[in-house]
Amino acid sequence: MGALGINLPGLIAQIINFTLLLLLLYFVLYKPILRMLDRRSEKIRESMERAEQIKKDAERSEQEIKKRLEVAHQEGQALVTQAAEIGEKLKTEAREEAKKEGEALITKARAEIQRERDEAIEQVRQRFAELAILAAEKVINRSLDKQAHVQLIQEVLEESSKKGKSQES
Amino acid sequence: MRFLTRPKVLGVLAGILLLLVIGFIFLRGPIAHIELQAEALTPPLFSLGPLGDFIITNSIVAAWLSILVLLGFSLAATRNMRVVPRGTQNFVEAIVEMFLNLVEGVAGKKNGRRFFPLVATIFLFILTSNWMGLLPGFGTIGLVGEKELAHFQSFSIIGFNLYYIPIGSSEGAVIPFLRSANTDLNTPLAMALMAMVFVEYWGISALGFFNYSSKFFNVRRLLRGDIINGFIDLYIGMVEAITELARIVSFTFRLFGNIFAGEILLAVMSFLIPLVVVVPFFGLELFVGFIQALIFAVLTLVFAVIAVEGHGEEEHVEARTEHVATSAA
Repeated sequence: MGALGINLPGLIAQIINFTLLLLLLYFVLYKPILRMLDRRSEKIRESMERAEQIKKDAERSEQEIKKRLEVAHQEGQALVTQAAEIGEKLKTEAREEAKKEGEALITKARAEIQRERDEAIEQVRQRFAELAILAAEKVINRSLDKQAHVQLIQEVLEESSKKGKSQES
Repeated sequence: MRFLTRPKVLGVLAGILLLLVIGFIFLRGPIAHIELQAEALTPPLFSLGPLGDFIITNSIVAAWLSILVLLGFSLAATRNMRVVPRGTQNFVEAIVEMFLNLVEGVAGKKNGRRFFPLVATIFLFILTSNWMGLLPGFGTIGLVGEKELAHFQSFSIIGFNLYYIPIGSSEGAVIPFLRSANTDLNTPLAMALMAMVFVEYWGISALGFFNYSSKFFNVRRLLRGDIINGFIDLYIGMVEAITELARIVSFTFRLFGNIFAGEILLAVMSFLIPLVVVVPFFGLELFVGFIQALIFAVLTLVFAVIAVEGHGEEEHVEARTEHVATSAA
C-alpha cells in the first residue's frame, strides 16, 4: 500500500481533463439542449398566447356580429316605421288633394250652374218682357200711348227683378 | 412456508446455493491488492519540471473513457435535434432538464444558467465514472509486473503471450488498465479545486473583489476604531478562509472515501464469496455512486449561491438598530 499523496502531474492532467469535458459538454450538450428547451418553451408560450388571442378575437368578432345584427335589426325596424309613416302621409296627402280637388270641382260647378242660371233667367226675362209687351200690345192696343206703355213695362220689370232677387237670396 | 415449497422457488433457491458453493470452491481468487495511489501504466512520458513527470495512470485512462462516453451520448443526442424529441435526444434532454430545474430552483433563473454547466458537468462526470467503475474489466484486466509473473500462467495467441491467474490460486495481482476515476485522490481533488475556483470567481464577479474579499479579511470596524469588534471580524474572516479551504478537503475526501471504500467492499466481498452475495453490494454501490455525484454537484451549487449572495447582512442589521436607537434618543 502506497502512501496517500497528491500526484501533481496527475492532478493537473485531471484538471485539464475536467476543463476539457466542461468545455466540450458546454458546446456539445448544454448549449444545444438549453437552446432547444428555451425554443420549445418559447414555442409553447407563443402558441398558447396565440390560442388565447384567437379565442379573444373570436369572442370579439362574435360580439361584433351580434352588435351589427342588432344595428341592422334596428335599422330595419326604423325603415319599416318610416315607410309606414310615409305611406300614411301619402295617403293623407292624396285624400286631402282629392278633397280639395273635389271641392274645387264643386265650386266650379256651382259657379257654372249659377252663371247658367243667371243667363237663363236673363234670357227668360228678356223673353218674358218681349212676350209681355206683345201681350200688352195686344190687350191695350190703343189705350196707351207709346210713352205710357214703356213706362208701365219698366215698372213691371223692376218689380219682377226685385221679386226675382229677393227670391234668389 | 408453502411459498418455499413451490417448484420454481425451490429451483431458484437450489441454483443460488449451487452458485454459492461453486463460487466458494472454485472461483476464489487472490484478494485484490488495495493501492491507495493509481497505478502507472507507462514509464514517465515527459517531465513537468519541478512538478514531476507525467505518467498515464489507470485512473486517467478511466477518466478519458468517461469523457468519451459522455461525449458520445451528447453527440448522439444533439446531432439531429428536433423540436419534438425522440430516442436519445429525449433521454438526454430529460436528464438535462431535470438537472436544470434543480439548479434553477436553488439558484434562481439567472444565476442558475451561469452555474448550470459546471454543476451538471460535475454531476455527469462523477456519475459516469462511478458507474463505469462497476463494469467488469475495471480492476481485473491489466499489466503484469515482473515480480508477479511467477503466479501467472500463460498461453499464446497470434504471437502474443497472455497471462492469467489460474483458478484456485491465491497469489498474484495485475496492474489494472482501468481504475474507477474517483478512487484516485487526484480526480476528486481536481474537481474540488475547479469547483472552488469557479465559486470564488462567481462570488467576486457578483459582489466585486473588495466586497467579496471582506468576507475573509474585514478591517472596516477595526479602522473605525472599534477595536474589540474589529478583532472579532478578523478572527471570523480567518475562520471563513479556513472553512473555504476545508471545503476542498471535504469535497475531495468525501467522494474519494466513498468510492474507494466501495471498491474495497466489493473486492473483499468477491474474495469471501465470489458469486451471488456480492450482487446486493453492486446495487448499493450504484446508489452510492449516484448519491456522491449528486452531493458533489449540489454542494458546489450551494456554495456558489452562498458566494454570490453577499454576507453584509449583520452590518445592515447593526446599522438599522443604530438608526432606531438614535431616533429613539
